[in-house]
Amino acid sequence: MHKLLSGCLAAALLFVTAASASAANVTFNGTVSATCSLNITAPAGTMVPDATLQQLSSLPAGGSPAKISLTTTGGVTLTVDPLVSVIKPSGDTTATTWQPSYDLAGVETATNAASPTILELAGTNLVDVHLTGTKAGSDKFANGNYIATVTVRCE
Amino acid sequence: MTFKMTRATALRGALLATFLPLAAAAGAQSLTPMRGEVTSFTEVFAVRVFPSNPYGHRIRLEVKVYDQDFKPVNAQVSPSSFMLGSQASRPVTVVVPFTDAATRKVRVCAESIPFPNQQTQIRAQICGKFLARRLT
Repeated sequence: MHKLLSGCLAAALLFVTAASASAANVTFNGTVSATCSLNITAPAGTMVPDATLQQLSSLPAGGSPAKISLTTTGGVTLTVDPLVSVIKPSGDTTATTWQPSYDLAGVETATNAASPTILELAGTNLVDVHLTGTKAGSDKFANGNYIATVTVRCE
Repeated sequence: MTFKMTRATALRGALLATFLPLAAAAGAQSLTPMRGEVTSFTEVFAVRVFPSNPYGHRIRLEVKVYDQDFKPVNAQVSPSSFMLGSQASRPVTVVVPFTDAATRKVRVCAESIPFPNQQTQIRAQICGKFLARRLT
């Protein structure tokens, strides 16, 4: 009788142990959506002319880029738009071809890029935005101020 | 952002460049979500986006809607222009007509606006891409 009781107790204990050891899986789902944050740290660049007065650019020595800090989770595209309008001195009556470009440094890199760049990696990139204006033929830049606005887009 | 060049005099043959004041004009922004798909039974579809200002000063933002070719879309944006304080975010509702199409792709863009009386003009765009399907 004692052995029978002991056996029953052992079986019950095994059952309880087995029951308490059973496990259930729970599932966690998470999605990191594409995000992009632009922080314009230097909103104005400086362009300087070349010796022939046919090119005005922020790229040479003496010029400086505008600067943006871009933070993303990745999967976004960085674009600089062609210029829509430029303020120029009245003495400048000839056409100018304006070309924005950018350098990218950080989790991704690019140099003097003009076309869109797909940013696949998460992190922060520093974007130096440049602008170059070029006159054709014998046309030259005129005396006065030139102001141009470049649109930087993250999408 | 603005590039500015000043030419001093032709006689000197040198051009002086001016770096414009930076302090108050700098801005920052973000936008969520940046991707989305919408279905609608009606002639229009709606998207709610949340522009935010993650930095230490307030900025003025404008929300605009463009199509795939960056042509402006005649959409209702509420509100379309507003000030956003530091670390703040707010919902913006965009209602876009299908214009008889079964699907429509639009970009909803948060654009920074220059402060008045600033010498500089800043334009940074963050655009979300949205695909809408019309169920008939």
